Amino acid sequence: MRIAEHVSPCFIPVMLRAIFLLLACQLAGEAIHRITSLPLPGAVIGMVLLVGWLALVPRERPTLTVVTGWLTAHLSIMFVPAAVGLIEEGPVLSRYGVGLVTATVASTLLTLIVTALVFRWAFARFVPEGEA
Amino acid sequence: MSDPALLATPLLWLTVTLGVFEVFDSLSKRCNRHPLLHPVLWTTPVLIALLLASGTSYETYKAATFPVSFLLGPAVVGLAVPVWRERARIRRLAIPIVLALGAGAVTSIVSAVGVLVLFGAPREILASIAPRATTTPVAMAVAGQLRGVPALAAVIVLFAGVFGAMVATPLLNALGLGDYRARGFALGVAAHGIGTARAFQVDATAGAMASLAMALNAVVTAALLSVVALLV
Repeated sequence: MRIAEHVSPCFIPVMLRAIFLLLACQLAGEAIHRITSLPLPGAVIGMVLLVGWLALVPRERPTLTVVTGWLTAHLSIMFVPAAVGLIEEGPVLSRYGVGLVTATVASTLLTLIVTALVFRWAFARFVPEGEA
Repeated sequence: MSDPALLATPLLWLTVTLGVFEVFDSLSKRCNRHPLLHPVLWTTPVLIALLLASGTSYETYKAATFPVSFLLGPAVVGLAVPVWRERARIRRLAIPIVLALGAGAVTSIVSAVGVLVLFGAPREILASIAPRATTTPVAMAVAGQLRGVPALAAVIVLFAGVFGAMVATPLLNALGLGDYRARGFALGVAAHGIGTARAFQVDATAGAMASLAMALNAVVTAALLSVVALLV
């Protein structure tokens, strides 16, 4: 494990601080979401808040990198409980399964093509030579 | 199984979930992370079968696995870190990033919803597919917000990721797109985390661009759909 190399006992209080920072941003995001009835999910607002905080208090944050790296690396298992919720969606799947697959395939292909082509065009048009 | 108190704690299903996932995760690792062997793709049906076989309700399972799904929130907040780390690149490539992201996010929403409208799908299904290009936790949250079905959103997103990761290389080659920045960025917008993982396998620059695209698209798509939700 990559993480294990980084974790020494004196590292743990700093880890807690990184976890606190993530939770605090999420909590603030949820609060903003509820108070302003802004329809963005609280965690997404929290992410924007964290970018703001990192910009406001710029310093090296090795522990935050480790903690978020760990979370991102294990993102897959976190949505297993939600995916299992499909157990209750049998009727929807049998009725709209073909439509869902068609829509997802079409949308994924188109998005790949449009994003890549627009990026290439805008890059050639707007990014000065040598800045790349 | 004779002691009902043991079944009432989250311990059983939490352990089973981690165990099953671990089996498929190591299989996926051994096969060089092929998109078709994405562990969630295989863990989910096995767990559904176990729930059905044991007569356990989803309600019970969901409550038991709360400690795992709770981590999604902090994980989304943590996407701020790659965005911050790539700030120099964002500044340099600001115009292509903004334009490609906007075009990609709109294309993804309009095409997915448009096709399903042709199939006569009701609103809750449209709401579940609309955020399909965002990373799963965000898609679930947005789908829930739009009164869609988070579980459906999770599975659509998963499928989109697997499909996108598999077709990206041949598709972008056919288009003659050699620039790894454009390729990685497109993969991150179209196929979120699974696409990002694939991009990192191909090229480090493509991977960095993909993870940046995934984080930015989470905000842009969620914001776009929020506006739509206010209007509809």
